[in-house]
Amino acid sequence: MTVSPRAIAVAAPIAVGVLVLLAWQAACRLWHIPPYLMPAPTDIGASLAANGPALLHALRSTLAVTMAALAISVAGGVLSAFLLVQSRLIETSLMPYVIIMQVTPIVAIAPLIIILVKATMPALVVCATLIAIFPIISNTLQGLRSVDPGLESFFRMHKASRLQMLLRLRIPSALPMFMAGLRISSGLALVGAVVAEFVAGTGGSSAGLAYEILQSGFQMDIPRMFAALALITVAGLVLYGATAALQRLVLRRWQAQG
Amino acid sequence: MLAPAPTIHLQSVEKVFPNGVRGLAPLDLAVGQGELVSLIGPSGCGKSTLLKLIANLHQPSGGAVRWWGEDFSAIGREGRRLSFVFQDPTLMPWSNVATNVRLPLDLDGVPRAQAEARIMPALRQVGLEHAAKRYPAQLSGGMRMRVSIARALVTRPDLLLMDEPFGALDEFTRNRLDEDMARLCARDGLTTIFVTHSLYEAAFLSSRVIVMAADPGRIHAEYVIDPGMPRDEAFRMSDAFARICRDLTALLSEVSPRRAGEEGL
Ligand SMILES: Nc1ncnc2c1ncn2[C@@H]1O[C@H](COP(=O)(O)OP(=O)(O)OP(=O)(O)O)[C@@H](O)[C@H]1O
Ligand SMILES: [Mg+2]
Repeated sequence: MTVSPRAIAVAAPIAVGVLVLLAWQAACRLWHIPPYLMPAPTDIGASLAANGPALLHALRSTLAVTMAALAISVAGGVLSAFLLVQSRLIETSLMPYVIIMQVTPIVAIAPLIIILVKATMPALVVCATLIAIFPIISNTLQGLRSVDPGLESFFRMHKASRLQMLLRLRIPSALPMFMAGLRISSGLALVGAVVAEFVAGTGGSSAGLAYEILQSGFQMDIPRMFAALALITVAGLVLYGATAALQRLVLRRWQAQG
Repeated sequence: MLAPAPTIHLQSVEKVFPNGVRGLAPLDLAVGQGELVSLIGPSGCGKSTLLKLIANLHQPSGGAVRWWGEDFSAIGREGRRLSFVFQDPTLMPWSNVATNVRLPLDLDGVPRAQAEARIMPALRQVGLEHAAKRYPAQLSGGMRMRVSIARALVTRPDLLLMDEPFGALDEFTRNRLDEDMARLCARDGLTTIFVTHSLYEAAFLSSRVIVMAADPGRIHAEYVIDPGMPRDEAFRMSDAFARICRDLTALLSEVSPRRAGEEGL
C-alpha cells in the first residue's frame, strides 16, 4: 500500500505528538510525579475543563490584542513601506529608526509604553505592534523593489500612469514578499501580546493568558499554568495555519503547476 | 515635394553609460517604412543599447532620435504605435496568458470589450490560442516568448522592435516563427528592427542587415537584401539564400573579436 506524502505530512507529526503525550502521561503516573511539579496531560485537560470560562475569556483578551496589533501592523507596515519606497532620501533618513525600533527588546520598552499609554488595552496593542510591524515593513519594501525591470520598462513604454504602475505592477510584484512577512508577523503579534501582558501584569476584565500564567504561578496551580500555555500554543498554531493557507490561496497562480 | 520622414532616424546618436562605459560611438541610421532591419554583431557591440535608444528606454548621451520625424511624445497615437519584445518574456506571473496579452491595450486605455476581442487573434498568430487561460509558470520557455510576441502584436504596432526574441527557441519553432514574422511584416507593411545572434535568421528575414562591431559599439557594414524575394521555405533552400549567408559570414568574421593569431579556447 502506498501512502501519499500529504497524508504522511499530517499523520507523522500527530503520531509524534500522541506518543510524547502518552510517554509524558506514563512517566507522571509511573514515578508518581506530583502535579505541582509536572502535571500529567490528563491533569492539564482537567484543569482546562474546570477553568474553561476564565481561560477562554483570557484567550479572547489575548487574541483581541494580537489581532488588533496584526491589523495595525499590516496597515502601518504597508503604508510605511510605500512611503519608504518613494525616494532613496526618505529611505536613508528613516530606515535607521525602523531598525532601532526593531533591535530594541520589547520587554525593555514595554514598561515605558505602559506608563505613557494610560489605557491598558491600547498599551498592549502598541507593544505587540512594535514587534509585529517590522517584518511587514521590510518584506513589503523588498517586494516593492523586486519589480522585474523588463516589465517596468514595458509599463513605462506604454506611458502607464502612476496608479496603473501601482495597481498592476508594484502591488502584485510585492505580494509574495508581503505574504511571507505576514506569516512571520502573525506569530510575532501573539508573542508581543503575551510579552506585553506579562510586563503590564493587568488583571480584571482585560486579563489575558499571560496574567493567567502569572496568577497560576503565584497560586502554585501548575496544571492551570500549563492549560494557559497550551491555549497560547494552539492560538499560535491556528494563526500560523491561517496565514499559511491565505498565502497559498493568494499565491496559487505564482506557483501554478502544469 | 518633401519625401516622407523615415520611420526611425538616428542622428549622431551616442551612448555613454553613467559608469563611463561607451556603449555606442556616434552613429547614424535611418529606417524607412516597411523595412525589416536586423542588427547583428558580437556580444556587447551595443545591439540592445541601440534598440533601447529607439524605444526611448535609454536617453542618448549625444545626438537625437526622431520617430516619424517627431519626438517621442508622438508615440502611441494612431499610426505611431511602437512595440518592444525583450530578450526575456517579461510576463506578469500573476496573470494568465490572455491578461498578459491584453496588458498593453489596458495601459493604452482601449475599452475592455474591444481589447478582449483582440486577444485570441493575437494568440493565434503565435499558435497559442489553446493556452489563453494558463499562467506563465505553466508554460515552456518557448511558449512564454510567444506570449510576449503576441503581447507586442496585439497593439497592431507600426514599429516593432525585437531583441533576440527567438534566441531561446528550438530550431523548428524558430524557423516557423521566422516565416510567420516575414509574412506578417510583408502583409501589414510593419516596420521592424530585429536583433539576432543568428546570421541565418538575419538573412532569412531582413531587407537590410546592419553588421555592428564592438569597443565602442558602431556600425561596421550594411548589407541590403532584395525585399522582393518571398520569404518562405523555398527561399531558405535557394542559392540566393546561401550566397547571402556566405556574404554575412564574411562580414561577421571581420568584426569577430577573436581574429587569427589571438588566443582561442
Ligand atoms: N546599463 C548599463 N550600464 C553600463 N554599461 C552597460 C549597460 N548596458 C549595457 N552596457 C554595456 O554596453 C555595451 C553594449 O551592451 P549591449 O547590451 O547593448 O550589447 P549587445 O550587443 O546587446 O550584447 P548581447 O548580444 O550579448 O545581448 C556592453 O559593453 C555592456 O557591458
Ligand atoms: Mg543584447
